[in-house]
Amino acid sequence: MGFDRPARGGGFRGGDRGGSRGRGFGDRGGFKAGGGDRGGFGGGDRGGFRGGDRGGRGGGFGGRGRGFGSPGGRGGFGDRGRGGRGGRGAPRGRGGRGGGGMRGGKTVVVEPHRHPGIFVSRGKEDALCTINSTPGDSVYGEKRISVDGENGAKTEYRIWNPFRSKLAAAVMAGIENIWLGPGSKVLYLGAASGTTVSHVSDVVGKEGLVYAVEFSHRSGRDLINAAKKRTNIVPIIEDARHPQKYRMIVDMVDVIFADVAQPDQARIVALNAHHYLKNGGHVVISIKANCIDSTAQPEAVFAEEVKKLQSEKIKPLEQVTLEPYERDHAVVAGQYRPPAKK
Amino acid sequence: MADTYVLFEHASGYALFHVNGFEEISMNLPQVEQNVTDRSKFTGLVRLVAFAPFKDGVRALENANAISEGILHDDLQLFLEANLPKTDKKGSIVLGVADAKIGGTLSEAMLISCQHSGIIPEIIRGIRLHFSKLIKGLTPEASSKAQLGLGHSYSRAKVKFNVNRVDNMIIQSIAILDQLDKDINTFAMRIREWYGYHFPELVKIVPDSYSYSKIVNIIGERKPFDEEKLASIREVVEDEEKVEHIVEAARTSIGAEIPEVDLLNVQTFCTRVTNLAEYRLMLQQYLKSKMQQCAPNLAALIGEQVGARLISHAGSLTNLAKFPASTVQILGAEKALFRALKTRGNTPKYGLIYHSSFIGKAKSKDKGRVSRYLANKCSIATRLDCFSEVPSSIVGEHLKKQVEDRLKFIEDGVAPRKNIDVMKEAVDEAEAARQEYLASQKSEKKKKRKKVKSEPLDVPMEEVKAEPEEETAEPERKKKKKKKRDANAGEMAEGVTA
Repeated sequence: MGFDRPARGGGFRGGDRGGSRGRGFGDRGGFKAGGGDRGGFGGGDRGGFRGGDRGGRGGGFGGRGRGFGSPGGRGGFGDRGRGGRGGRGAPRGRGGRGGGGMRGGKTVVVEPHRHPGIFVSRGKEDALCTINSTPGDSVYGEKRISVDGENGAKTEYRIWNPFRSKLAAAVMAGIENIWLGPGSKVLYLGAASGTTVSHVSDVVGKEGLVYAVEFSHRSGRDLINAAKKRTNIVPIIEDARHPQKYRMIVDMVDVIFADVAQPDQARIVALNAHHYLKNGGHVVISIKANCIDSTAQPEAVFAEEVKKLQSEKIKPLEQVTLEPYERDHAVVAGQYRPPAKK
Repeated sequence: MADTYVLFEHASGYALFHVNGFEEISMNLPQVEQNVTDRSKFTGLVRLVAFAPFKDGVRALENANAISEGILHDDLQLFLEANLPKTDKKGSIVLGVADAKIGGTLSEAMLISCQHSGIIPEIIRGIRLHFSKLIKGLTPEASSKAQLGLGHSYSRAKVKFNVNRVDNMIIQSIAILDQLDKDINTFAMRIREWYGYHFPELVKIVPDSYSYSKIVNIIGERKPFDEEKLASIREVVEDEEKVEHIVEAARTSIGAEIPEVDLLNVQTFCTRVTNLAEYRLMLQQYLKSKMQQCAPNLAALIGEQVGARLISHAGSLTNLAKFPASTVQILGAEKALFRALKTRGNTPKYGLIYHSSFIGKAKSKDKGRVSRYLANKCSIATRLDCFSEVPSSIVGEHLKKQVEDRLKFIEDGVAPRKNIDVMKEAVDEAEAARQEYLASQKSEKKKKRKKVKSEPLDVPMEEVKAEPEEETAEPERKKKKKKKRDANAGEMAEGVTA
């Protein structure tokens, strides 16, 4: 029952500086965008000075620690440009605890969430989940719940951990609208290994499509593998700074979700929006303040970013901070070229 | 007014559109938006001229690669030649393209005037929005399917094509090396504890963990101490005095008796650890040779291990080469740096570079200065390694000498040689070595070619053809290279004298 134990993903990172905080491997807000900092193992494709982004938290929810031989041993292994999403969770000290007792059974009831395509499982502890489009299969070692339907049909759900996914954290933080639901076409920038992408693909369902862009080869490998089983994910290993490079592959989309954690991320999003976002389409951007300016106040950084978006014809609609799931992060939703009011 | 066409590349094929009413819409941008989103209006503005689907996935991938790099693929050329109306007047046709790069290539190769700004992106957005409706027989599902297939094959090829393959080996092996160091140390501690029950005095006499575990294997039970054991111990410690110490200690030891089973287990573990230590040495050799191939200058300057750590921390040699020297200097001290930036304190003076012997040699008040100087030299060495075709460590050795001279200068005031002289010498030597290397390569090639001539049937045509081409290309490259190097040396000189 429940999560086995707060296993440490990968078991292998930590490199030369691990262990300094909490459960944790390495410090966040590193120095260059690379697994290197926290991971010992890798380096960043994208170099540069900041952005050792997301990573850093060890623990994560249980279940991921499959040791390093297994394909699940992602997190700081290779040259994942933006730093692996592998292990987050350390500095908060909460990350390690999974909610116990989420596994199926009679006591679990799954209810639809306010946002279409997302569900809440009510067990001992509540958890976000999405309908698993490939029943019997976990993408990154997450728990699954099987629930009997009314007519005997079984539906399988996958738990969506807000400590590992910023989109889930935004939902938990009470974002008004995530602008993606069944049937949406999504351009996902910064797909990493495809953990959140897999949930987005569940949300948009068979009718929808997710274009998942990731630059790092190492995590791109995992992304491609995740996309093999889910036919609504189009993996694109390319730099999101140059959207014209993948112009043959991407259609017009309804929403862009960006989690690139680069100092110039507003520009990246705007470029992609100019190419691929429908008029009146939406952007949902996760901003990590440390990656943009590690010295300024997070609020100031967010405001600055929002201003940049406004100058690119993106009208900001709302902003939520991701406490307690992430530190100094915000998710901003906005509309691209909003239709003129009559 | 010029006739405007728009090229649209899609996963399923190339499409060419003719744009009507160009002038009106270019005048009034907000209205364009309406025209673009509204399908009926848009179809009135844009007319499909031709659509050429790709024959299969392989073709699509080839074309996608070419498009993303801005290269003109044969298919695209054929398509445009067949479908763009021919005119003798230059500039009577304007082709709208999505990317400046492909526009440049097209105007160069096919003499078509291209446009990629202004109204064109807007039109392309419109085409992308309505594409499946503009092309007959293309359903949205088929379009998505083509994209999915292309996305997979494109990404797959990307992942396979790994630019920094050799430094990946370095990154892995330095990581293993560090891990091994840690592990061997903890294991050795364990052996000492364990065997210490039986023979506690041995640790004091043989503190080195590798020889300790070897000797434990030889001695086993400490009591009957025969000649054979003595001889083998002598081989390991190579110090007569120590051997006598051991014999003496074994006789008077306060350790407890140890049963044979336990001893056997200790010894098995010892064998493991000694094997591990030997493997570590092997790995170090391997790392050394890899560094010699991949980053000879850097290795010559600060040593293989520190060099490898720098590469591993940067992610690849190319990344390291792109870093400014100030970054190289504090690579590995990010935590301290960011803490300092946040609290406005003093930023760290060194990171990984600290492990280089130069900084250890410097006095503590000069460490920062030496570190900065060393980082500068590392940066130069890395760039040479990364971008020169013929690997040689000559410049690296010169750089090393410079750092040593600098140390001397800081300590005793012995003035070092002028940078410009040293660099000139280094460049000359390196160039000579390069020529030599190329000459040896050429003679090898000749040998190969003779072989080819003698048995021409076994060799595919391409190979034979390719060789002379390479040769003709060579002198040109050489010149360029030399220029670059000279410029580099000049810059370096400036940097120091200024």
